[in-house]
Amino acid sequence: MIVPMKKVTLYALKQDKEELLLSLQRCGELMIVSTEDSSPQEGFSEASEALERTRDTLGFINKSVGKRGMLTPRPEVERSELLSVNPQLKKLQSEVRELELALGKNTAKESALAADYGAVEPWIPLDVPVEELKDTRKVAVFTGVVPEASLYSLDALEQEHGFATLPLGTGAEGRFMVLFCPKDNADEAIEAAKSIGFVSVSPPRIEGLPKDYAAGLAAKREVLAKERDALNDSMDKLTEQRDALEILCDQQETDLERRSTQATTTDYTFCLKGWAIAKKENKIKKTIESVTDAYVISFEEPEQDDVPPTVTKNNKFVTPFETITDMFSRPDAREVDPNPVMAPWYWLIFGMMMADFGYGLLMAVLFGLIIKIGKPRGEFGKLIRVLLYCSVSSAFWGIMFGSYFGASWFPPVLFPMLDAPIPTLLLCMVLGALHIFSGMILAAVNCFRQGDWQGAIFDNLVWIVILTGIGFMFVESLSQIGSIMALAGAAIVLLTAGRSNKGIKKLTGGLLSLYNVSGHLSDILSYSRILALALSSGVVAMVFNLLAGMVQGSVLGFIASIFIYVIGHVFNLAMGLLSAYVHSSRLQYIEFFGKFYTGNGRAFTPMTISTAHVDLK
Amino acid sequence: MTTGTIIAIIGAALAAILAGIGSAYGVRLTGQAAAGVVAEKPDLFGKLLVIEALPGTQGIYGFLVAIIVMIQIGALSGNIVPLTMEQGWAYFCACMPIAIVGLLSAIYQAQTGVAAILMTAKEPSASAKGITMAALVETYAILALLVSILLVFGIKV
Repeated sequence: MIVPMKKVTLYALKQDKEELLLSLQRCGELMIVSTEDSSPQEGFSEASEALERTRDTLGFINKSVGKRGMLTPRPEVERSELLSVNPQLKKLQSEVRELELALGKNTAKESALAADYGAVEPWIPLDVPVEELKDTRKVAVFTGVVPEASLYSLDALEQEHGFATLPLGTGAEGRFMVLFCPKDNADEAIEAAKSIGFVSVSPPRIEGLPKDYAAGLAAKREVLAKERDALNDSMDKLTEQRDALEILCDQQETDLERRSTQATTTDYTFCLKGWAIAKKENKIKKTIESVTDAYVISFEEPEQDDVPPTVTKNNKFVTPFETITDMFSRPDAREVDPNPVMAPWYWLIFGMMMADFGYGLLMAVLFGLIIKIGKPRGEFGKLIRVLLYCSVSSAFWGIMFGSYFGASWFPPVLFPMLDAPIPTLLLCMVLGALHIFSGMILAAVNCFRQGDWQGAIFDNLVWIVILTGIGFMFVESLSQIGSIMALAGAAIVLLTAGRSNKGIKKLTGGLLSLYNVSGHLSDILSYSRILALALSSGVVAMVFNLLAGMVQGSVLGFIASIFIYVIGHVFNLAMGLLSAYVHSSRLQYIEFFGKFYTGNGRAFTPMTISTAHVDLK
Repeated sequence: MTTGTIIAIIGAALAAILAGIGSAYGVRLTGQAAAGVVAEKPDLFGKLLVIEALPGTQGIYGFLVAIIVMIQIGALSGNIVPLTMEQGWAYFCACMPIAIVGLLSAIYQAQTGVAAILMTAKEPSASAKGITMAALVETYAILALLVSILLVFGIKV
């Protein structure tokens, strides 16, 4: 059901603001909204920058050691610990940040050194200091590189043009070398060398032997590598502090949430506007009184143009199913809560689509374990609980249709789906019709609430009579009653559906709305997907059993058959879960919600302690 | 083996082949789009995987009809029933709805799926809406599957 809300306006003294906001946040029942002249609190942008930095650091740690697994439990923290930012944790964060920067600098230096070394490497065999590679009185000296493929033709050229070469090391471009030739035919010689691919390259700008320089570089690299190892070691130690950083992140998030509170301030007072659950009025008042007695607060009923946030409160079974509705759209605060009706239908239809006792059992174990070990929260946690509940209905329909891991260990209670698809199809349609009827009844309830009794009866309830009548027409003993119901209902629609129009349009409106019958019938036909999905997962399971049975007979075959069983059924279960989740949601969204649901609600997000990474004790 | 049996087998093969091609092509489209989004936003992987897998079901439907035909004509147990030409063509026609609709609907569903993936990339909380949009296309594959199954079961051997 939808919880009634009240509009809250609070005036208090500016000097109490910090403390008031803190205790309101601890109480966690007030959702503060912004108004035209409101603004966030002091230190808002600093807090958001600090949070951003911590998130970066956390991201850096997660990158180097991998994220926390879905099933690893989160650290547990006292509520009060999250209300203020721990300066020691902040110091830890800046330590990690410094390490991160140092590591980055180290990597940059290392790659610069590596590039340097790569440039000098081909020159290492040179046993003359680089600065002495100069023309002499009679000999011209060139340095350059020749592609490996042209090396063999170099010998011939040496003979022909009378020059000599000193080959050095090899680089990506080819063999580096020094070329000596008499000055008088230097031009000719170098032209000839260029014709086979010689490219002039000046020697590296260093002094002394390249060998010595390279050794110096290598020594520097070693020092850097050692530094990096040391940094990584201290990084490893710090990553053990990830829990602490996650706590810091949540502390800063909580801090930011409080500072982002929108308040209107004057010189001495401030004003907060927002929403609260009507029943929490006293709790909020007590919270404020514990801080100050200089305040004025009012709780008012929402007016016509107000848009109160929506809070739904349901029993333990229905609550997880709220996530299915919320993914479509939250209910409007003024309409009837669809969840109590939707939940059992979702549960039933999901189970019918899986329809296997064995798979139901597997789901119960799988999702039970996820809840037990991983303690999933939020929307994801709700979804897992929905799937856990649906394991029961899957097992139930498995017994009804006699399907146990795709085999028929026990005879079915109702009828075997594969041998009797027609009765199953009819069952699906009847369930579908009932599902749609429940939607129409909810639509009628919404109409009654708005005082529109005509809309409730003539636009909704009468259709239940018509569709039931059409259904009865297919049953021989009831066909007469059925046709009477259908015709009478049709007559009522014809006469009343155009009631808001004028003149002849009264009748044409009725005719047009009679055309809705095709829409309603196609909605009901849509439930045939239940049979199709149940059949497909049943037959695929059967095929894997068949395949496994075929290879059995020897020891090796037996082992192979176990593989086929496990892989086949896990695959089929995963595909079945996907289909059942998607299509039972669709039947709610399109066929069921289409009848009555507006769903323009917004979430109730009170100022509270936010925990993205930790669990509250 | 009679010509009728061979025609039935061709029908079953086409159901698996065409619907399989459709799904393979469809999952390729959604997979590419999802991979592009995951490169930027790795956290969306779980949500996108659901949309990515949606066009994969048509291949399973085609496979399913092929298997049911194989069971009916005894191809799995090894005692193949000699079918008349009429029976053979009846099986062939029964396979066509899921073969053809499976092929096309998987591709069209994938195109809707790609749009849904891009929508989820911009607005992660809208993923359920995107899934629903893509799932609407699948309705027609499911209807074709039902027609094929009911026809196959209806043929007396």
